[in-house]
Amino acid sequence: MTTGLAILAVDDEPRALADVSRLLESSASVDRVATATSAKEALVSLSGGRFDALFLDVAMPEIEGMALARLLRRFADPPAVVFLTGHPDAAVEAFEVEALDFLVKPVTRERLDAALRRVEAHVQGADARAPGAPPADGDGGTAPDVVAVDNPRGGGKRLVRVETIAFAQASGDYARIVCEDGRFLLRTPLTQLEKDWATAGFARVHRAYLVNLTHAVELRAQANGTAVLVMRDGTEVPVARRGVAALRRRLHA
Amino acid sequence: MPQHAAAGGTVSVHFVNNVLAAAASYIEEDPDAARDALAELGAFLTHRLRPARAVSLQEELDHVGVYLRLQEFRFPGRLDSDVPDGAVARILVGPGDVQRPVGAALDAWLARRPGRVRVRVRTAGDDLELHLDAPDTPDVAAELVSIDLTKSVRSSE
Repeated sequence: MTTGLAILAVDDEPRALADVSRLLESSASVDRVATATSAKEALVSLSGGRFDALFLDVAMPEIEGMALARLLRRFADPPAVVFLTGHPDAAVEAFEVEALDFLVKPVTRERLDAALRRVEAHVQGADARAPGAPPADGDGGTAPDVVAVDNPRGGGKRLVRVETIAFAQASGDYARIVCEDGRFLLRTPLTQLEKDWATAGFARVHRAYLVNLTHAVELRAQANGTAVLVMRDGTEVPVARRGVAALRRRLHA
Repeated sequence: MPQHAAAGGTVSVHFVNNVLAAAASYIEEDPDAARDALAELGAFLTHRLRPARAVSLQEELDHVGVYLRLQEFRFPGRLDSDVPDGAVARILVGPGDVQRPVGAALDAWLARRPGRVRVRVRTAGDDLELHLDAPDTPDVAAELVSIDLTKSVRSSE
């Protein structure tokens, strides 16, 4: 693990800034924390020293955090950006500027530590995944809060909270996810999602299905040795014969 | 900023989360301030989340006072607020009917300008007026926002 991260925390709300900087300063992986109360102050700090990441408030007077993040992308070697916000809807824009993570205030220690692990991975260059993606295995990683899916109503990406996803179904090399807002194509293979979402309550119950068990309400045995998982909305997801026993153990059924 | 629908009005998720973040920051250095912030937030949410009902204008103005104190927790030293206490029109309004326009105007002001802001709510006939100005920088133009209560007045039924 890399130690000694240099972090610049930026927030126009002094109390929120005090809170996040205190959390950062008490993190073992952080060596140095500087603070700024505006985007202008942040730019001055950036011109005077090297930072591994900015923990950046979205809504600030004059230059907003999102505008600063866009500006930073023009830097030759920009610091990673982790957004802080009081409103989760800003995650859509955060994805567009390739933020490394997105934290909703007030931030828990656990969530902040997960963001710092992403910063470390980013700094080490060991993280070969796309920006904003989660760790590829369960070794201390956390599942992502949101995933970007194809927007069926035109261009761009739509962000879907992973907790709202009932199940993912293999669709060629990609996955079709079924969530509270509908069905969307996610350009990631089911095998990768199985790794990414392992800590988020998902289970591979069939070669073509990855199910969020928190959305299942019934496990129903079938006469041929297979089973079906009944979801909240009544949808039945097949469970492969060879997966039934493991699923029963996991569910203590 | 998107709002979250709730019984008795709408509550800004952004506002609530930022107040909680401010309260968290006080826990170690000033536990009493943290407790006060949480108590005020409790009062704020109680006013807004109780089942839909009409409240007196004075109750709503007290709610505006709570809102402004919560803003002071977020931005210590930036707000100088003055809200009428008593002697206001005996009418009924919806919870949040005055706080929402006050909040929108104050958010816009804080988003555009650094420094201290003076917030005054005044009765103007059957309506209310919100005055915003920057006491430390007189060259900044003051703002006057009329809050039309005619659309808000509720039956006591």
